[in-house]
Amino acid sequence: MNAFSTFTRSAWIASYLVVLATTSSLAADKVIKIGLLPMSGPGSYFGAQDKQGVELALDQLNKSGVNGYKFEIRYEDSACSPLPASQAAKRLIDEYKPDVLIGEECSDATLAIMPIIEQAKIPLINAGSSSIKITDPGNPWTFRIMPNEVMQGVDIATNAYKRLNARTAVLLHENTNAGIGNAQVFADTFTKLGGKVLADIGFGRDVNDFTAIATRIAGLGDVDVIPTYTLEGQGLKITQALMQASVVKGGGGKAIQLGTIWLPFGFEQKAGEAAAGYIRIVQFDPTDQRPQVRDFVQAFKAKFNSEPTHLNAHAYDQILLIADVVKRGGTDAQSIRDTLAQTKNFSGVTGSVEFDKTNQNVKMDTVHYMETKPDLSWTSLKWN
Amino acid sequence: MSSIVLQQAINGIVVGSLYVLVALGLTLIYGVLVQINFAHADIVTLGAFAAYGVTHLLSGNYLAGIAAALALGAALGWLINAGIFAPLRERGSELLPLIATIGVSIMLQNAMLALLGPIPYAFDTPYSNQVIRFGPLFLTVQNVLIILVSGVSITLLYVFMKFTFLGKALRAVSQDRETAGLMGINPNYLIMLTFVIASALAGLSGAMLGPVLVLTPFAGTSVIVKAFAIVIIGGFGNVEGTILAGLLVGLIESFTTQFLDPGLIDIVVFALLLLTLAIRPTGLIAERREENV
Repeated sequence: MNAFSTFTRSAWIASYLVVLATTSSLAADKVIKIGLLPMSGPGSYFGAQDKQGVELALDQLNKSGVNGYKFEIRYEDSACSPLPASQAAKRLIDEYKPDVLIGEECSDATLAIMPIIEQAKIPLINAGSSSIKITDPGNPWTFRIMPNEVMQGVDIATNAYKRLNARTAVLLHENTNAGIGNAQVFADTFTKLGGKVLADIGFGRDVNDFTAIATRIAGLGDVDVIPTYTLEGQGLKITQALMQASVVKGGGGKAIQLGTIWLPFGFEQKAGEAAAGYIRIVQFDPTDQRPQVRDFVQAFKAKFNSEPTHLNAHAYDQILLIADVVKRGGTDAQSIRDTLAQTKNFSGVTGSVEFDKTNQNVKMDTVHYMETKPDLSWTSLKWN
Repeated sequence: MSSIVLQQAINGIVVGSLYVLVALGLTLIYGVLVQINFAHADIVTLGAFAAYGVTHLLSGNYLAGIAAALALGAALGWLINAGIFAPLRERGSELLPLIATIGVSIMLQNAMLALLGPIPYAFDTPYSNQVIRFGPLFLTVQNVLIILVSGVSITLLYVFMKFTFLGKALRAVSQDRETAGLMGINPNYLIMLTFVIASALAGLSGAMLGPVLVLTPFAGTSVIVKAFAIVIIGGFGNVEGTILAGLLVGLIESFTTQFLDPGLIDIVVFALLLLTLAIRPTGLIAERREENV
């Protein structure tokens, strides 16, 4: 299966190179070039929504520029998978010679491109990969503005135990670095607090039918929480299977599914009643009353005629952070890296950014919890 | 525990029925043409999208969606064979049509990507979340439909192959194309018929898989390798063997999930494949390829 899907994906990637060079009238000598990954594969919704956030930020920034610089971007398809990601990163670096890269979203792909960007000495700003391996022990060229798996996992496990009074958990995760890592952190924290992990169930990205997994969970007895680490497509099928097996609240059971930033807004509408009671971390709270959040929501609606998601927001923040770095004197890859490393109290729409010595954002105000209501609307839980 | 075992057996039969539907088209083409059709997966995906589109267009009429997927699959089978495979076969090369199937597959995937985008579609039929419960056991109406449609399709195909003139002619072509031609059978017509039936089955399996799959332009590829494995385990071109192997793989998946780990499913299935190749290279049922199809 893997050999075949890798083959077809590689063949597909080879034929699918999306180049969208915007702002063609920009002066060639005063441009900051940005490369963005990914656009296809199971995490393609990340790329599609990132692109919207990027476009909005570029529209706003390129009206007047920053310190005389304007910004342009090239999209390259990394497919949320290590091999195509490596190929895409090399292609982007060789052909486009960017000053800074943003993306990847999937941890395995990010880990694969890190040696390449380190060798090319181009900084990478990441907002979607949670594996601790990305910033621990540290890489001078990779910066992460979102909380890593340890920060998220410890927080969500503590909240499950203390706020939801959960004592039993079943872990569901895809068998990737991020999936395994997130589940492990949850298990360690939850167990340390006194909770019990009844089962740790990993699965490949090629699994489609989750009824067998839901049946197994139904046979485990009382399950309080089910932390789930998977992309949207499989996430939908898992949630619906858990409902059919009467495991989760949406299906009349008692278990609460817990999730992280992997799922986009709109997931609950796709999953339907099965999603009722789902609690998950998102990186963005559109009900946040800070002025920049209100302005972002308003501008996004005006441009795309839809509500912004946390994926739109974190891509928007990545571009604004680059603009902030340019404002502080970054002009090329090396100076952008050096200035990025000194970032303190950057305030974006998802929250604030301050990097530690491993280039991990240490601020936790980018973690927002939301709960899906029975009518499929959601509410911000204000747990942080 | 016994109810869990029974539930997993039901789950396995449902998944196995889906695999059988996908694999039948593959085995049919292999049986007649001794050719692997890599584009089969994409016809499955197109069938799923056709069913999705028609179901939504007709306010939830899933049965119309199934019919549309079947018709689209048949039409595509005819079109691809007439436009691409038949001219290549006439050149006498066995490799060209094989490579062409890869080309068609990539082309269809990219066309779907351009037209439908990469974001997963949520294909819920009116039956997806209607759950029938018998004590601790559960089954969605969608699952019942999957088993019914698979059962009817298998029966119709079996009757067609065993008892109709065209079916017998098709088997004759699969055994010896030249001799069948000398007996007055037009092999090109029957090859076309094979493609149409196999692709119609692919479209139909797409309609049944759509609500189960993570529906993206690459959805079909996630099941096709397992379908290839089923074709090999069942015996290349052997319809009965394919049915048996499909159900077996479905059951293996369910019980591996229950008693081992879902991450081991591919290991177990492909270990069975290797075992079959080592012990019974002709498949679970067939002894000679001539007996197939």
